[in-house]
Amino acid sequence: MIQGALAGLAAGGVYAVIAVCLTLMAQLVRVINFSQAAIGMFGAFSAVALARLGLPQPLAVLAGILIGALLAAAVGAILATWLPESGISARSAVTVAALLLLISMSYILFGTKPQTFRAIVAGPAFTVGGVVVSQVTVVMVLLAVAVAVAARLVLRRSRVGIQLRAIADRPIAAELLAVPVRRLVLAVWVATAVIVGSAIAIVAPTQTSDAVSLSLLVIPASAAALIGGFRSLGLALAGGLLLGAVQGATAQFPALVLARDAIPLVLIVVFLLWNQRKEVWDAAR
Amino acid sequence: MPRAEIRWLPFAIGAAGILAGWLVSVLLPGYLVFLAITAVIAALALIGLGIVTGSAGMIALCQLTFAAVGAWVVCLLNVTGAPGGFLAWLLVGALAAGLAGVVLGLPALRLRGVNLAVVTLGFAAAADAILLKTQFPGSLVGIRVPRPELFADDRAFLVLAVIVLVLVALAVHLLQNSRWGSGWRSVAYSERGTAAAGTSVRVAKISAFAVSATIAGLAGGLIAGQVGTAYPSAFSTLQSLALYVLSIVSGSYLIEMAVVGGILWVLIPELLKRFGIPQDWGFVVFGVLGVQALTTNSNLGQDLRDAVLRRRRRRGAEPAPAGPGEPEDAEDPAATPGAPLLVVEGLTVRFGALAALDGVNLTVHEGEIVGLIGPNGAGKSTFVDAVSGFLPGHGGTVRLGSTLLDGLPPHRRARAGLRRTFQQDRVPPSLTVGAYVRFLARRPVPSDQLADLLAFFGCPPAGARIRDIDVGTRRILEVAAALAAAPRVLILDEPAAGLSHEEHLAFGRRLRRVPARFGTALLVIEHDLDLVRTVCSRITVLNFGAVLADGTRDDVLRDPAVVAAYMGETELL
Repeated sequence: MIQGALAGLAAGGVYAVIAVCLTLMAQLVRVINFSQAAIGMFGAFSAVALARLGLPQPLAVLAGILIGALLAAAVGAILATWLPESGISARSAVTVAALLLLISMSYILFGTKPQTFRAIVAGPAFTVGGVVVSQVTVVMVLLAVAVAVAARLVLRRSRVGIQLRAIADRPIAAELLAVPVRRLVLAVWVATAVIVGSAIAIVAPTQTSDAVSLSLLVIPASAAALIGGFRSLGLALAGGLLLGAVQGATAQFPALVLARDAIPLVLIVVFLLWNQRKEVWDAAR
Repeated sequence: MPRAEIRWLPFAIGAAGILAGWLVSVLLPGYLVFLAITAVIAALALIGLGIVTGSAGMIALCQLTFAAVGAWVVCLLNVTGAPGGFLAWLLVGALAAGLAGVVLGLPALRLRGVNLAVVTLGFAAAADAILLKTQFPGSLVGIRVPRPELFADDRAFLVLAVIVLVLVALAVHLLQNSRWGSGWRSVAYSERGTAAAGTSVRVAKISAFAVSATIAGLAGGLIAGQVGTAYPSAFSTLQSLALYVLSIVSGSYLIEMAVVGGILWVLIPELLKRFGIPQDWGFVVFGVLGVQALTTNSNLGQDLRDAVLRRRRRRGAEPAPAGPGEPEDAEDPAATPGAPLLVVEGLTVRFGALAALDGVNLTVHEGEIVGLIGPNGAGKSTFVDAVSGFLPGHGGTVRLGSTLLDGLPPHRRARAGLRRTFQQDRVPPSLTVGAYVRFLARRPVPSDQLADLLAFFGCPPAGARIRDIDVGTRRILEVAAALAAAPRVLILDEPAAGLSHEEHLAFGRRLRRVPARFGTALLVIEHDLDLVRTVCSRITVLNFGAVLADGTRDDVLRDPAVVAAYMGETELL
């Protein structure tokens, strides 16, 4: 069971990276970005296509991440232009449409078959109690922790962080105080796209890498972020890792073959219902 | 529109729909008939989605999971050789899907907005993964689901699907125009407002999920009949997402738009195919349309309806002025206070260490108008919330006549005859004036009574849409609608806020006539002493959560302690 949990940490690391980015976006630009993983997927697929055209692999990967960042900036610009004042639900619904768009565009441009990725990070890192922990697992977990810690430091300690929090709380007041709202908002979109794009570029070679499975990584990731209520970076990080570990551990039991896809979700829902048990009404007063 | 016209029109449209379906099944080539079945099934799923997402305002991203339950049950009953045949299995499948809807709707009682969207999306993905492993019963060994004999070939099966669609559409139309439908729309706008109207928020939300899932289950069962079996690919997470976007684009809480949406569902990929464009562009089109609809906060159906309405207005067919109001009698109604009706004793509310209310006593007698005043932060709104059941942890007792209200949730207190209005605008803009009054009344209100009531308060006519009414008038409408329920006591929480001076005076004159005319005693919470002075016969003053003074109007307003508490506002006294 421990072995399974360790094996699941690779996936858990990806969930955690995306969950942390989703939490950041929810807090800073008021959107649950359902197209977060799809943007990373599109970048990764572009990288494969560029490499096939003869671009050296490191350059191709960088170009792919850049393409993802541009796409994210485009979605962010659409929201900033047309729905600046709307509720988080309406803004998030747009990203659902963007998710569909990206998946179908990838079908058109890259075909429906899973892509073959050249691994960027590969091989075992170390062995614990007879379980081999892969380098990908180590890199993913470190990346997730690093992003969460860095985000916290930037938000708490830097001037840009204070401006970002001002935008999150009172966008109009921030604008009146001459905070470059639009530029900073787009910067958040680009930064999260670069982070998730890198994570997907690293992890894509190790898993089923068709457009849908990569894009729908956002589902377990958003479930993990939900544990922290899209507010707590720490809980999003822990939630992602835990989710991966639970999936890995339950995969060890053949009897759970059907239930194991639902177990993490049911646990999360039960936790949330307990956590939100006092939220009887939609408005405080 | 006269009532009689409304009664038969949906049935006529339904009959025409079945006729059209039959014509399509006879005239079109076989391939198109098969596509038409798919369109009809998609329209069904969209009608269901429109209830949860459009009417009740909850984001549910697992509509095809419910459809999969319906299909799964039909396949299972077929494989096990259950009696009854396809049509019976279809109904059982729909009921099973409805049950799944109740279960998946439970998180919606505490999770809202995007959080609920994430949970439903998670369920869709989990169901997707499980179905890929189990597959549908009998699908791997090639056991086909037999269609009913009467509807054996594709053409006849299309007619069957159309009949199901028409029956569902009629049922949903009736539901949407009933108190259930008003409850769904009300809960989308305000849960507190819904509960204060005597409707259980829990029942409203769960029933929306259950009805929606039941309809999706029918759609799933029909897919099993159409294909002869079912494959997980027809119910994938991605398809559920696409259906959600299409529901937003078309505005599928309007039944005709759900049908249009169903047609688009097959038409767009099919047209692309005809033009030699890969079908994958279909989702691109949905995506672009979705972004467009969401960013402009509009949908096809509502745009069309608004255009039709504008045109009708321009032709002068539907003038919608406010009612003239009733001739006002100058004399005060004889205030004959009867037996004690609302008796509040020792009401105490604590928020942590702070006592927002501390042992407050207040009595409202039959036929009386009592004022509750006090400076900002005195605890007036906390008092209303506690008495109307929104603060279940309060101490003390609240009695209405002989009924003890303690421990009852807000909607039960409302049904017991204790109604309240809100400081905030809690009147759902998606309803018409008439539907809103009937929703709050919780009983059939004859049209002439409804017109009388609206005229008495100077509200717009029953056919007017609330979204076209200004916020001040909405608040008067809220009072009128609450009185339509013939409550024993009505608590008005700052009813005059946002009214102009003239409206204010007219409103005060009407309020004074309420006890005699409606048999309802009033408790008026006000900031504005003018209204209190003209309307109330007795006044209670709160300060720092305790009763400062209590007695007849003139005694209380002359009390030096009251004057002192109102120091900044002495000139008003």
